[in-house]
Amino acid sequence: MKTSLKKIIAIALISILMTSLLTGCSSSQSASSDGSIKVLYSICDVDDTFRAALSDGIVAAAKSAGITLDVSYCGSLVDDQAAEIASAKANGYDAIILRLTDPSTALQMEVTSNDLPIIFVNSQPSDEHLKADKYVYVGSQEEEAGQLQAEYVMKKLGNPSSMNVIIFEGEKGHSGTKGRTSAVKNTLKDMGVEVNYVFVDYATWSDTIAAEKLNIFFKTGQPYDAIFCNNDTMALGVCQALKDNGIDPASIPVTGVDATEAGCASIAAGEMSFTVLQDAEGQAAKAVEAVIALTSGKSVSTIDGASDDNKYVWVPFSPVDASNVSQYQ
Amino acid sequence: MSDQKVKRTGKIRTKLLLYIVPTVVVAVVALSAISLILSKNSLTKSATNELESSIANQADNIESWLDENMEFFATVKYGIETQQPTEDELQLILDSFYGYNSSSPEGLYIGTASGRLYTASDSSYSTSNVTEETFYKQGITRVEMGYGTAYTNSNGEKVISASGILNDGGEEIKVIAADVALNDITVIVNSGVKMDEARSILIDRTNNTILADIDTGRLGSEITTSNSDVLLAGIATAIAERDYSTNTIGDYMVAYEEIDNTDWLLVSYIKTSTILSDVTMLANLLIFVAVIAIVIIIVSIIFIVSKVIAPLSAITENINAMSSGDFTINVKAESDDEIGVMGRKVGEFVASMRKMLASISDESVKLKEQSDNSDEVARRMYDASMSQSEAMKQLNETVDQLAEAVNDIAQNATVLAGVVADTRENSNQAEESMKETVDISQRGREDMEKLSSAMADIQDANNRLVESINKVGDASEEITNIVGIIGEIAEETNLLSLNASIEAARAGEAGKGFAVVATQIGKLAQTSAESAQNITNLINEVHTLIEEAVGQAQNSADSIQQNSERIAVAVETFDKIYDNINTSNKLIEAMITDIQKVDDVATNVAAISEEQAASADEILATSENMVEQADNITKSSQDVADNSHELAGTSDTLTNHVQQFKI
Repeated sequence: MKTSLKKIIAIALISILMTSLLTGCSSSQSASSDGSIKVLYSICDVDDTFRAALSDGIVAAAKSAGITLDVSYCGSLVDDQAAEIASAKANGYDAIILRLTDPSTALQMEVTSNDLPIIFVNSQPSDEHLKADKYVYVGSQEEEAGQLQAEYVMKKLGNPSSMNVIIFEGEKGHSGTKGRTSAVKNTLKDMGVEVNYVFVDYATWSDTIAAEKLNIFFKTGQPYDAIFCNNDTMALGVCQALKDNGIDPASIPVTGVDATEAGCASIAAGEMSFTVLQDAEGQAAKAVEAVIALTSGKSVSTIDGASDDNKYVWVPFSPVDASNVSQYQ
Repeated sequence: MSDQKVKRTGKIRTKLLLYIVPTVVVAVVALSAISLILSKNSLTKSATNELESSIANQADNIESWLDENMEFFATVKYGIETQQPTEDELQLILDSFYGYNSSSPEGLYIGTASGRLYTASDSSYSTSNVTEETFYKQGITRVEMGYGTAYTNSNGEKVISASGILNDGGEEIKVIAADVALNDITVIVNSGVKMDEARSILIDRTNNTILADIDTGRLGSEITTSNSDVLLAGIATAIAERDYSTNTIGDYMVAYEEIDNTDWLLVSYIKTSTILSDVTMLANLLIFVAVIAIVIIIVSIIFIVSKVIAPLSAITENINAMSSGDFTINVKAESDDEIGVMGRKVGEFVASMRKMLASISDESVKLKEQSDNSDEVARRMYDASMSQSEAMKQLNETVDQLAEAVNDIAQNATVLAGVVADTRENSNQAEESMKETVDISQRGREDMEKLSSAMADIQDANNRLVESINKVGDASEEITNIVGIIGEIAEETNLLSLNASIEAARAGEAGKGFAVVATQIGKLAQTSAESAQNITNLINEVHTLIEEAVGQAQNSADSIQQNSERIAVAVETFDKIYDNINTSNKLIEAMITDIQKVDDVATNVAAISEEQAASADEILATSENMVEQADNITKSSQDVADNSHELAGTSDTLTNHVQQFKI
């Protein structure tokens, strides 16, 4: 009996030792960061004004937080981005801030990241590829932008019972494109307006394409009451096209998203009617906050604007029109 | 006995079973329940995952099919836009793609704002009013080709058109389009289901119409939240609320997936009972296994418990025999566990008890013999001490009587001495009294003589008193005469006043004042006469009293005379008494002297007899002591006899008890 008791005690002790050993191993990862976090920030380019603002914000926020941040411009090739992500761990990075070149490649990036936490920005992967406190998206809820646009237009037109609508969409398959467009449609539907979509086409964030397609639309001779654009650049193209056709842009509501410098100037000049500010600095700050939280083993739930499922950190949009545009210039 | 034993063994087994069986049953039931719940959760979760992955796969299929076709259409469109072909060249291009794409066998066609329609030469497609066609209306809303809503084309087929404005730089609006049959989409939807028993439908959210369904009769029909089919109504609700998370509608688990670049929603559903059928089967299996496990465990517990406690019944039997005094038992102990140890120890105990009892038995027999002997000795000793005690008592009685006699003598002598002493004292007192009496009688005689002369003085005084009184009598007689004269004067005055009154009345008015005086004088005379009369009366009384006093004084004189005579006789008697007393006094003095002698003798006798009495008392005390000691010896020897008797009895009892054990 005594020997069996000894055996039990021995087994219990061994299991306790093993457990503490394993726990020690698992916690060693965060210990290695040793206060100085090293982060890889991968983005295709900063040609877009918003992306430029976002990148500058991230660099500034990382610097003030004492984080070592390496920016990598991978260009438009998915393969290059994937290769970079795959070597991130070997190069000593603790986390990755990633602006996906192609949103559908999120899973690929997660697999090749060797278990590093990824903070997605600007380009939103689909929900199923996000994982609580591991693969999170920091951005604005695209739907909010579309909703604000639709509400503004409805108010501007005096809550009509029906309207003819033109929508210029961004890049095909982009989260911003899908979210903003569907939000416009859904909001109008919810407000009980009978909407006739006279023209809905992709302009791939481009002013020239938007202008060209608007010119084609004019040939169809259809009526139009409002023009929604998924971003400011396209809205500026629309305004230009209107002017080229001798139409005063102020006569119909032209709305954009992003509150870029040019967009705000256009509003101030009385051409574009409305835009929403996607807070590039705010998103940058939250992205860095998320990096700090995830590398120190905490949850993003400690950050303001985190979703209930800990997959998103939302940065709110702000509406900008002639009444308040001066604050954003 | 054996009944009790069976009961006791039974109790241990019942107790063990009572504690172990419920524990085992609860544990098995809890384990089954937990594994069932976990299985259910995990099965439900895996079914959800399977459904979601199935629908995602379908959606991918549909998207890629749509993209593939769209790619093809867009390529053709791009070719036309860049080549800017002439009408013939355009016809050639359209012809060349006719039948190339199996999904769109009619190929592409182009309608213009002016109402012209370009189709492949072999195409049966025709229309009378191009701009009113659905494809045209949908096409003019975009440059990049896109799929529109479902409609029935002129051939009566349910189709969707991919259409867009042909951007060839011309001024006239041209819409290029291609039709895709809904049936083809239905095939893709239905064949893409990866989960057994799951079904899918494809819905166009622009107008909530069904684009693909296994029930082809529902194709193109609209679903609403008030649909009679609970599932369709639930799907319509989900669309209205834009909540596309997997949920349960009625008996179905339903998953949703939006198709990219369209307003389409793919819905996949499976009966919950299908998912949970495995759970039900698992539950049945678990219950079956649990019941069998419980039965096996109970049986094995009963078997093990019986086997383990079997040696206990033998031990119990042995202990029962031991408790009834039987130590002839043979204890068997085969097992090597605690019960085996118990058995062996009981065996050792029995052996040592047996040895011990045997020696006790021997010892008790020896003890009995010894106690019998001592009993006999004690009895003899008792008898001897009894006779000794008797003798002592007789001696004591004799001494007692002697002491009593001596005491009597001493007492009598003492009394005599006392009496003599008293007598002497009395005679002394008597002598003193005599002397006092002589003195007193002498003084008495002197007093008597003084009394006799005093008497003579009193007689003289009395005589003088009589004389004085007689003189008072004479004086009072003279007063009586004076008062008589006063009375006569008063009478005459009264008469004079009467006459004066009458004269006054005659005088009339002038004599009125005089009449008043006369009346007053008359009254005064009357009062004087009355006072004189009163004085006479008083004098008479005084006179009488004086006579009485004289009589009395005479009487006193007589008594005093008689007393003087008697006192003379008393003086004589006193003289005689004095002589007699003197004689008596002398006799008493002689007697006192004699008594003094008697007193001395009696005192001597008393002292001697008291000494004798004290000695006798001492002898008595000693002899009483001896009697007491003799009694004590008797009592002690009685006790010894009793004790040794008792010891003999006890050793008898011990022998009896020891003989009860069987060894």
